[in-house]
Amino acid sequence: MIDIRKTFKTTATYYLIRLFRSQVQDFFTNLGEVSIMSVLTIINLFKGKIKWKEVIYQCYRFGVTSLPITLSIVGMTSVIVATQVASEMVKQGGENFVGMMITMLIIREAGIIMSGFAIISMIGSSLASEVATMRVTEQIDAISVLKVDPIRYLFVPRVLSGMLMMPLIWVLSSLIGVLAGSFASNLASGLSYRAYFDSVWYGIRIYDINVNLLKAVVYGFTIALICCTFGYNAKGGAKGVGIATTKAVVWSFVALVILDMIFAVSFFF
Amino acid sequence: MIKVNNLVKKFDKKTVLDDLSFEVADGETLAVVGFSGSGKSTVLKIICNLLTQDSGTVYTSEGDVAMVFQYSALFDSLNVFDNIAFALTERPDIKKKYSKSELCEIVSQKLKLVGLSGIEDKYPSELSGGMQKRVSFARAIVTEPKTILYDEPTAGLDPISSTLIEDYIVRLKEETHASSIVVTHQMSTITRTADRVLMIYKGKKVFEGTPEEMLNYGNEYTKQFVTASLHGPMQMLAE
Repeated sequence: MIDIRKTFKTTATYYLIRLFRSQVQDFFTNLGEVSIMSVLTIINLFKGKIKWKEVIYQCYRFGVTSLPITLSIVGMTSVIVATQVASEMVKQGGENFVGMMITMLIIREAGIIMSGFAIISMIGSSLASEVATMRVTEQIDAISVLKVDPIRYLFVPRVLSGMLMMPLIWVLSSLIGVLAGSFASNLASGLSYRAYFDSVWYGIRIYDINVNLLKAVVYGFTIALICCTFGYNAKGGAKGVGIATTKAVVWSFVALVILDMIFAVSFFF
Repeated sequence: MIKVNNLVKKFDKKTVLDDLSFEVADGETLAVVGFSGSGKSTVLKIICNLLTQDSGTVYTSEGDVAMVFQYSALFDSLNVFDNIAFALTERPDIKKKYSKSELCEIVSQKLKLVGLSGIEDKYPSELSGGMQKRVSFARAIVTEPKTILYDEPTAGLDPISSTLIEDYIVRLKEETHASSIVVTHQMSTITRTADRVLMIYKGKKVFEGTPEEMLNYGNEYTKQFVTASLHGPMQMLAE
C-alpha cells in the first residue's frame, strides 16, 4: 500500500513548502534579533559611558572614507536626471522650474537614498564583515569573558558615528547634487546658470531640511545597527562571515526603502 | 574552587552534556579530555557564562574567571599593550582609573611572566602562534583571576612551542594559585600540567583520576584514548 505522507515528502511541493517555512522563520528570527539589538543599543547610548576616541575613529571611517563614492554617486544621479529632464522642460517652457525640480529631487530623496545605498555598500558591508570576523574568531566571546559589554564596546561607537555622520554626508551630497544638476542642465539644454539657481531656492524649504536631517539620523542608526547585528550573530567560519555580510547589506537596503516610504507617507502625504 | 553539579546541555535535540559533575580544588589543575564533539569546550563556555546550561549548577570561587581561547582570540585591531590592558581600561566594574604608567607597569609585568618582554607595540598579526597564545595568557591573568580555563592551549603548535606553553600553564598556576581547567587532546599537556584528569564521552563522565592512573589504563575508555585505538567503547566514526 502506498504511504501518502511518505510519497508527499518526496515531491517538489513539499520541498517548496519547507523552503518557504524556513525563509519565514529566518525572517522573523532576524527581525527579532535586530529589534532586540536596537533596544539594547539605545539603552547603552543613554546609559553607558561613550568612548569618544572610538566614536571619532568610526566617524572618520563612516563619513570621510565614504565621501568620494557618496558624492560621486549623488552627483552622477543628478547629472542623469538633469540631462534627461532639463531639455524637455526647456522645450515645454518650464526653464524657470528646472533648478527647483532638481533641488527638490536631490534634497528630498535622491541625496539621502543614494548616499544611504553607497554607505551600505561601502561601510555597512565592512562593518558587518568586521564584526562577523570578530564573532567567528571568538574575539567577541573574549570581550564577554573579560566582562566588557560587546554592545557598549562594538555597537555604540559604530551606531553613534552613523547617526552623526549621515546628516553631514546628506548635506554635502545634496550640495554636490544641486551643483552637478546645474552643469548638466546647462550642457544638455543651454539653460543659463542664473535661471537654474534663481529657481533652486523655490525647491528648498526649511521643513524639508528638518525632515531630511531626521531621516539621515535614522538612516545612519539603521545601517550601522543592522550591519553590526548581522555580524554579531554570524555563525561558522568564512562562509558564515559571507552570509552575515550579504544578509546585512540586503536587510539594510530593504530597511532604507521601507523607512523612506514611511517618511514620505508621514511627512509629505 | 570550581564545582559543577549535574550539568545538562542540549543543542536542539542533541544532548551534549549529560548529568556531568566534578570539582576542582583551589590551586588545582584538571585536564578535561575526550573526543572532538564530546562536550569539553561546552563545559568551559558554561563555566565562563558564554553559554547557559539547561539544568545543573556551576559554582566558582569569588573573583574573575579567565579563559584562554583555542586560537588566542586576540583583538586584531589592538596592539599587544591594548590587548592586555583591555579589561583594566574597558571594564565598567573596575572603578580604579589606571594611569598610563601604571598600565605600562602591569602590562610589562604580565608579559615578563610569559617570557615576552618588549613586544607591547606589536599587533597580533606580527606574532607567531605560540607568541599569540602567550599574549592571551597575559591578557587572561591581568585581573588576577581565581579561575583560569584553557581551551586546547597547545592546539596547532609545534612540539617545542607546546612544551613552552605547558611550562607557562604550570608557572601561572604557581603564580596565581588559581583553579584551572585545561581542555586538551595532547598527552604531554595532560601529564605535564594536570593534577587530575576527567574524561568525557557523549557528555558523560567516563573517567576521573590522576594522569598516572590514566596512563596505566584506568579503564577501557582511557585505554582506548591512550593507545589511540579504533577499537574500544568509544565509537567516533560510527556517529
